[in-house]
Amino acid sequence: MRSKRKIGLVLLMMTLVLAACGGGQSKEQAGGGKEGSQEKVKLTIWHNFAGDDLRAKSVRSFIDQFAQDHPEVTLDAQAIPPDGYRQRLSTVAAANEMPDVFFVYAGSHSAELHQAKLLQPITEVLDAHSDWKDKFLPGAFDPYQFEEGQIYSAPVGMSATSILYYNKALFDKHNVKVPTTWEEMMTAVKTFNDNGITPIALGNKAPWVAQSTIIGSIADRVTGTEWFKKAAAQDGAKFTDPEFIEALGYFKELVDNKAFQEGANSIDNTQAEQYFIQGNAAMMISGAWTLTNLAASSSEEQMKDIEVTTLPSIPGGKGEAGTISGGAGGGLALSSRTEGKAKELALELIYAVSGPEAQKAIAESNSMVMYDTDIDESKVTSLYYKAFNLVKTTGITPVYDAYLSAEAADVINNGLQEIMMGGSIEGVAQKLQDAQARSATP
Amino acid sequence: MPTAVRSKGFIAIALLPALLLFLVFVIIPVFWSAYYGFFSWKGFGDAKFIGFDNYIEMFKDPIFWRALRNNLILVGSSIIGQIPIALIIAIVLFKNSFFSRFIRSAVFMPMVLSTVVVGLIWGYIYHPQFGIANYVLEMLGLESWTRPWLSDPKVNMLAISIPINWANVGPYLVIFIAALQNISPEIHDAAQIDGSTGWNKLTQITLPMVWNTVVVTIVLCISGSLKAFDHVIVMTGGGPAQSTELLATYMYNSTFSVYRYGYGSAVSTMIMIVSAILIALNYFATRRKPS
Repeated sequence: MRSKRKIGLVLLMMTLVLAACGGGQSKEQAGGGKEGSQEKVKLTIWHNFAGDDLRAKSVRSFIDQFAQDHPEVTLDAQAIPPDGYRQRLSTVAAANEMPDVFFVYAGSHSAELHQAKLLQPITEVLDAHSDWKDKFLPGAFDPYQFEEGQIYSAPVGMSATSILYYNKALFDKHNVKVPTTWEEMMTAVKTFNDNGITPIALGNKAPWVAQSTIIGSIADRVTGTEWFKKAAAQDGAKFTDPEFIEALGYFKELVDNKAFQEGANSIDNTQAEQYFIQGNAAMMISGAWTLTNLAASSSEEQMKDIEVTTLPSIPGGKGEAGTISGGAGGGLALSSRTEGKAKELALELIYAVSGPEAQKAIAESNSMVMYDTDIDESKVTSLYYKAFNLVKTTGITPVYDAYLSAEAADVINNGLQEIMMGGSIEGVAQKLQDAQARSATP
Repeated sequence: MPTAVRSKGFIAIALLPALLLFLVFVIIPVFWSAYYGFFSWKGFGDAKFIGFDNYIEMFKDPIFWRALRNNLILVGSSIIGQIPIALIIAIVLFKNSFFSRFIRSAVFMPMVLSTVVVGLIWGYIYHPQFGIANYVLEMLGLESWTRPWLSDPKVNMLAISIPINWANVGPYLVIFIAALQNISPEIHDAAQIDGSTGWNKLTQITLPMVWNTVVVTIVLCISGSLKAFDHVIVMTGGGPAQSTELLATYMYNSTFSVYRYGYGSAVSTMIMIVSAILIALNYFATRRKPS
């Protein structure tokens, strides 16, 4: 009987030893890539341009081009759909197995990765191509300058999140003035409601939509940008301040006047876009992504009635009118573990995918960029061309969730849904304040 | 003795691989995640030990209690929905005719659909503007009953539990049919000779004979409802304003959209404890009934 036990024990140990061997081997392989850099350099890139839209295709083509131009590189490019992208990245971050080059979002995402010491600056490649660096629009590097003189990413996109799209045909038909002040906005809401047309299409099932497209812009008009930055830093301003309560009040006014279609919280943004483009709603407040989506899903015929402008001004507000919330979009960042020859090539890869040619190609795929480039009108949709020119001339104000901590962003997202369901403004403001205070004081 | 020992040893060795896999992929992660529950951790970077703070916060968070309540609604609705429906259909369609086979496959069909498809279909049924649910109500002259089913917090948990029940009746039906077929025909014959038919036979013979199966399906229902996640994620994502949050979606959102891995781990440990308690309660509640 004892011998049997021994056999069992030996078997158990063998299994464990084998398991340990398995682990060791894979580590060796990973290290081997760097040692063998004389012949083949292994580079991995993760990005979220996985879709079938023009922008994703053109970004992927620049990556493929890089692989063709550099036969000495074994490039492992992974396109991960945006919905799961951050999860995938934080999973490998937890295991400290970041890819060499990866797409990061502007704001708290990249800031948290930087805090965790997973990024290294790409300043050298920007300085090496100064003509490229200089053509970025003002503020393009703001979200990526974690310390003086060092830049961690070059944005390949621009987020303009609060464009007011409106259906000109419907405005003409019902003889409504395109709103430039809050009062005109409320008049428009009333007139359209009286005529059985949804004033504003909203798809807020994924709850970031109302926050990103509506509250950021309205609140900035009321409080001014200065106040928001202070409140986000929890330095001299709080989200329970009367100006923010007032800003939420404007959102509540829209809700109370039935500006949004019924059940806006249970349909998604794409469904709302379709609802709007089919003429069921007179307006839609949405970001530049709607341009990309509409370019892919609707006809030029449907789009010709649609015009774009900024949200109306608010009486007595401290912020500038005629602005759009937005900022630099995501960009490619470099892992802090990539060194030597691999690093050189990784920087070249970043230049290949976010350089002047790529920026132009992205801008011509109906997608905004944070880069001064001219686009060929014939290559883009008419609606995009209008928006491109609108955004070029307007001021940019911060998007809320880019400055709030992930937790606070979650709170305001859910809070806006709560307000839409009749919740109290003060309660939401208090919860937001608590959440932001918790993450601002480490 | 020697053969018994030998076979025991052989059983142990044969079980070892499965046991090891189970240990490595189930048991260890469970304790691991319980351990992470004591940390404040973003998923990367440094983890800070904070003792029971995550658990204390969880008990203070009204959303946690709402999620638990929603889960209990689901448990309740599936126990009073799925099991009786499956049992009734099984008893009615027990005969092997073409018609009953057809109905049985029809009831089982949603099971083979991906939950994403189920979620999308019912999302359209409940659509506030073009949904069939509201359209049918209007046709019937019940305008006052129409509502945005998934965004009205008074009814949305109920609205969600309908497709979940619809999609999950199938397997219970199969289990019950198997249990009914296991009752040997002699018992039926004996009952008939004793003059037991109809309702009497059903409550005195058939139900007691399948009672053990019913108990097992209730356990399956409880654990299945506590794990429920996919339908809700597709249909509402736990919203609006977290009104349809379940324990699992609450854990998922705390972990992956707010990046609080430590807190999420604490919630998942709690899910396990809650299901263990419910299953134990069910065990004691149903044990005494059969003689």
